[in-house]
Amino acid sequence: MISVQHLSKKYSGDIVLEIPNLEIPKGQRFGLVGNNGAGKTTFFNLALDLIEASTGTVFINDIDVQKSESWKPFTAAFIDESYLIGYLTVEEYYYFLGNLRGQTKAQIDEWVEPFKPFFNDEILNQKKYLRDFSKGNQKKAGIIGALIGQPDLVFLDEPFANLDPTTQIRLKNLIKDEAEKHGTTFSISSHDLTHVTEVCSRIVLLEKGGVLKDIETTPSTLKELESYFSN
Amino acid sequence: MGFLALFFLAVFLFVGGGLFFVLRKIFPQQDPISLINKFLVYYYGVDLLIRYFFQTLPVTDVKVLLIQPIFKKTIIRGVSLRSIVSVFNFVPLIVLFPFCVVFSLEGGNPLSVWLWLFAVLCTSGINHFTTFLVNKSRGFAMILVFVLGVGISLEKVFNIELLYFFGQGFEAIYQNPTWALAPFSLFVFSWKMTERFLQKELYLDKGLEIKKERIIGSQLDFFDRWGIIGLFIKNDIRLIIRNVRARQVVLMASVFLFYGLIFFTQEIYLNQPVMMVFAGLFITGGFMLTYGQYVPAWDSEYYSLLMCQNLSYKKYLNSKLYLMMFSVLLSLLFSLPYLYFGTKVMLVILAGAVFNFGLGTFITLFSGAFNSSPIKLNIKAKAFENTQNFNFTQLLFTLPKLVLPLFVFYLPYRFMGLNAGLFGLVFSGFLGVALKNQLLNTIEKIYKQKKHETLSSFKKT
Repeated sequence: MISVQHLSKKYSGDIVLEIPNLEIPKGQRFGLVGNNGAGKTTFFNLALDLIEASTGTVFINDIDVQKSESWKPFTAAFIDESYLIGYLTVEEYYYFLGNLRGQTKAQIDEWVEPFKPFFNDEILNQKKYLRDFSKGNQKKAGIIGALIGQPDLVFLDEPFANLDPTTQIRLKNLIKDEAEKHGTTFSISSHDLTHVTEVCSRIVLLEKGGVLKDIETTPSTLKELESYFSN
Repeated sequence: MGFLALFFLAVFLFVGGGLFFVLRKIFPQQDPISLINKFLVYYYGVDLLIRYFFQTLPVTDVKVLLIQPIFKKTIIRGVSLRSIVSVFNFVPLIVLFPFCVVFSLEGGNPLSVWLWLFAVLCTSGINHFTTFLVNKSRGFAMILVFVLGVGISLEKVFNIELLYFFGQGFEAIYQNPTWALAPFSLFVFSWKMTERFLQKELYLDKGLEIKKERIIGSQLDFFDRWGIIGLFIKNDIRLIIRNVRARQVVLMASVFLFYGLIFFTQEIYLNQPVMMVFAGLFITGGFMLTYGQYVPAWDSEYYSLLMCQNLSYKKYLNSKLYLMMFSVLLSLLFSLPYLYFGTKVMLVILAGAVFNFGLGTFITLFSGAFNSSPIKLNIKAKAFENTQNFNFTQLLFTLPKLVLPLFVFYLPYRFMGLNAGLFGLVFSGFLGVALKNQLLNTIEKIYKQKKHETLSSFKKT
């Protein structure tokens, strides 16, 4: 799904990310961990062609993201609140994204139905603008927004932060379900080691812009990560 | 910004110092302050209007102080005192201070002159706190509307010349400085009212609460028939009606509609076609010039979302283009009352509209690609904020928007008369429409080239 070759990003000489080679196969739940400044968000921004790579290329389904835009129809992301349109209601926001991805209103209304338990009655029919939602509810709305139109590849930056415990658990199940049912590839960054090891089948640990560890998740992964972060 | 401020300071000081000599030269018989008094009422009227749109009070910074060991009274005093330090209150001071210095040296009675200045400044202060109360509380807004209503009806219906009396009031203060106590006590009163109002509002769930807004503009399905372009237009309409900053700009744009009144009411301008064309361009181009110049910055808050969606840049730009074209048509409709000034005036407006519609819109869209200052949608612009966004490229781009049409008009006009000039405008407008696809493709290419640059500058706040 994603193929990274000789990728690096420098800001005035300082390397913030350098990944010589990384392959993420289709349907993988790929987790990125690392302290602040390790390069997680930079990696997402490069993959989404929101910043220019200093060297190297990111391919999504063999499409060079910098040269063509044909990866966009099957790729979605929720990175931060700038991925919401603050002056819209959640419904209007979903219709907007849905229309861009070729869906009709009715299709979206029907599609959103199974996510109602996840919303916990706090998202739909609220009669308020997205900018007036709490951080947690903004996140809920944004994550589901990224799933509209059944994209093959979804980027989520810190999806567990600000969510209440119930929603965190529901989100884990939701990601696993989507990946299983539709073969969706997830690329998730998180500071929450417990959640990320539970939900992701593979974890990459970034440190100062480089890949330090690349591990298949096993029952001992959490311990391994915890011991790294305690030092 | 610093340079600009210094520049204006110098200009105002110069104007203020020179004011005395200019007035004495032109009206040697009359007292300069009496002359100013006649004009003051209009100044305060405009002042109040501008303040209403631009004046903000820094209340949100207060939250952090609430839990510090400071008396609430002190916090409120701090807020209200700090608010006084504002451009609007300084302009009269900077202009009139040098004037008063000069006047007292040149034979004015110092006591009268300085107490008069004091009264003028107090009145500015009254405007200052009135605006604040009106902006924050519906009750005070109603009171102001009521007072204005009574004033206007007294003036118009009962022929009581309030505007004249206002000037006479300042005249009285000038003659007998004791009267300065009147504006001073009103000033103190408005200040106290503001502080009392703030005192009650200083809770997280009152004045400091983020207001929950009513949803407006949810029924816009009409636009669905235009597919993706309609989708963006729908979004833009919501952007305009739901965000403070956008509403502010659009309100300013509607003021442009009245621009013609300055020109067309005066005999001299009616014989100067270039000035008429100039005014005509503004009448129908208000929205295009004010709102349009911040495309795509209006979408800056969520530009990265747009950039990773499956959207065609061309359709996005096209929707902005249609929005501006529509605004030109709408302004043209609203400008029909100008027929009162004759068909010639209306023809000039119409020709300007065709130019704005066909070419002005493209130029605006093109220049937008070079404007990369982000906009905070739901926050009022501060006065002079637009000068912070000011950059040289933007200045360059106002040239084609205003000078090009004048040029297109003037050349044929000079050699073949008015109709030829107007034809020049209409022709270039049609040319733009005919070349729509080519122009849009070129603009799209530039937007694409600048994508990363724009993204990164929109991230900066």
